[in-house]
Amino acid sequence: MNLKESILVALETLRSHKLRSFLTLLGVIVSVCTLVAVVSLVQGMNQYVSDKIGHLGSNTFLLSQFSIEDHTDQERFMEARKRNKEIRLEDLQYLQEAASLPEQLAASMGHAPIEVKGGTRSLEDVNLAGVTANTLRVAAFEVGQGRYFTPTDEQHRSNVAFVGPDVTRELFPGTDPVGKSINVDGRDYTIVGVATALGNVFGQSQDNFVQVPLATFRKMYGTEGSLQINVLARSVTLLPVTEDEIRMLMRAHRHLHYNDKDTFGIISSDTVMQLWNNLTGAIAAVMVGVSAVFLVVGGIVIMNIMLAAVSERTREIGIRKALGARRKDVLWQFLIESAVISTVGGLLGILVAFIFTLVAGALTPIPFSMPITAVIVAVLVSTIVGLFFGIYPASKAAKLDPIVALRAEA
Amino acid sequence: MATSILDHSSPQAAPGAHSIIRTADLWKIYEMGDQQVAALRGVTVDIARNEYVAIMGPSGSGKSTLMNLIGCLDSPSRGQYWLNGQLVSAMDDDQLAHIRNHEIGFVFQTFNLLARASALHNVELPLIYAGVPPAERAARALEALQKVDLEPRKDHKPNELSGGQRQRVAIARALVNRPSIILADEPTGNLDSTTSNEIMGLLDRLWEQGNTIVLVTHEHDISEYAHRVIYIRDGKVDRDHLTARGERVLAAKPAATP
Ligand SMILES: Nc1ncnc2c1ncn2[C@@H]1O[C@H](COP(=O)(O)OP(=O)(O)O)[C@@H](O)[C@H]1O
Ligand SMILES: [Mg+2]
Repeated sequence: MNLKESILVALETLRSHKLRSFLTLLGVIVSVCTLVAVVSLVQGMNQYVSDKIGHLGSNTFLLSQFSIEDHTDQERFMEARKRNKEIRLEDLQYLQEAASLPEQLAASMGHAPIEVKGGTRSLEDVNLAGVTANTLRVAAFEVGQGRYFTPTDEQHRSNVAFVGPDVTRELFPGTDPVGKSINVDGRDYTIVGVATALGNVFGQSQDNFVQVPLATFRKMYGTEGSLQINVLARSVTLLPVTEDEIRMLMRAHRHLHYNDKDTFGIISSDTVMQLWNNLTGAIAAVMVGVSAVFLVVGGIVIMNIMLAAVSERTREIGIRKALGARRKDVLWQFLIESAVISTVGGLLGILVAFIFTLVAGALTPIPFSMPITAVIVAVLVSTIVGLFFGIYPASKAAKLDPIVALRAEA
Repeated sequence: MATSILDHSSPQAAPGAHSIIRTADLWKIYEMGDQQVAALRGVTVDIARNEYVAIMGPSGSGKSTLMNLIGCLDSPSRGQYWLNGQLVSAMDDDQLAHIRNHEIGFVFQTFNLLARASALHNVELPLIYAGVPPAERAARALEALQKVDLEPRKDHKPNELSGGQRQRVAIARALVNRPSIILADEPTGNLDSTTSNEIMGLLDRLWEQGNTIVLVTHEHDISEYAHRVIYIRDGKVDRDHLTARGERVLAAKPAATP
């Protein structure tokens, strides 16, 4: 049986039973759509996250009390809480003296979100942090207006503030905020500068912050609590050795035995990305599993429809056999038909997924893209499912006795 | 021997060059649970090239069973069958399919056209299974449709054609692969008498062009178109004789040489 003939018969069958065909294909459509949409989604989100994390500086890493891994589950966090010590100012001073590789060691200390007043207005849930003057070198933002902190601000523990554009937009709309006074926790600070806008990450504004000099912060809120040290390497290639040096120095400084665990955490954009990939990988694995179940269901539906087609078209099979069709001709006719039906379902599923990613791309800032490999795999998988679930009906058709088949109701 | 027509007296002999169908003691036994039904009980017939034979007999006598065997749709339980010099009684399914494709043109009572395919495509079907390339296929199918005067209807579907036209499409399909025999099973059973005569006229023409025709019918009028009638009764050949037409044809023929 020639291929073109079988494909035409299959497409004709689909065309002449539109609703039934759609229902037949639903399983395959849903499954391929899920598969492709999830892969596109994960790919898009990975792209997005790596862009945003890359923004934090590809040649920086954080030294903090806990590592990312410490946060992965409750038990690990409890252990880390017992083991890890706060990063103290004294650690920073030690590293500044002992470390030779870092370009900059910028320290900061965060505070829970807090209310900020200015003029006659106020703004809730602002991120407050005390920072060293070199933080500008490692931060994602730049100075939009005014200036950043100077070492003098630090020495004098000046009551000055550098704020994100959300804050000035809310508190001083339409006026020049530099030189204006804001009040945080009953204390007045003079705005010396405003950051450029960074926008949102997952709907969370990155521009909603107030920074004050670290010394000023410690004077106000005490010296308890852990610092975060943002380490800037001299280049991306030097990042791993810089990380090693900091880890070694911290371990030596804290007198850790060689098989003790770190009592601090080093967080690089790599580890964040890795964690993220693990997470999205797990989501993708679950969804691939779900779509595999749909696919099997879709395949069984196709098998049923093909069985119905074989019994409906018994007479046709008889005619073809009487005219010289061999078993394998009939077998291939129905196998191809089943594969074509399933592949059409796969293509429709890809189309639906494509529309979905277009809509999702338009509604969210995430750059959804449909990887061509996912499309190819989806088409192949749907074809294979059609072939596989077509085997039983097709072999049933092939084995029909021509005399019995010819006598069947047309 | 003077003519092959009545020469079926030595069934065990190897088929002569003139024989197109030769059966030797054909039996067909159907198993019905623990019961056995012998539909054919030793049928021996010999049909020569360019004969025009009608098979007749009462209902249940075994006509259809014999047709199925001659048409290579089924295998006998016992006995031999040579078609065009080939021993087909020992062939397997796929070999039989090949023989049906190359040696036999079927014309059925119910036409048995593919409903969703055009007349041309229906006629092309045997050529598809013969592996004829598409261009040649279309040309040959068109030629066959010309022979039955249906070329202008080549793109019509069966439901857009009258009963007589459908049967002509079926005849074109039977002819297209240049078979050794045309097997017509009650070809006029579903047609009115005028159309029946038309179709029988067409079969006549095919016979004149050199085709071998085997016809199953229970209608005396129709059997009169044939030149020879084989009567089956209880699964056996009961009578085998020339019709009035057959006598005339024989008389008109110059003395044949074997
Ligand atoms: N597939 C079958 N299974 C069992 N018995 C059958 C089958 N086909 C035919 N027969 C029996 O064989 C005999 C001959 O049938 P058939 O060849 O159809 O006769 P006809 O065509 O002359 O009416 C009948 O008794 C019939 O019942
Ligand atoms: Mg019958």
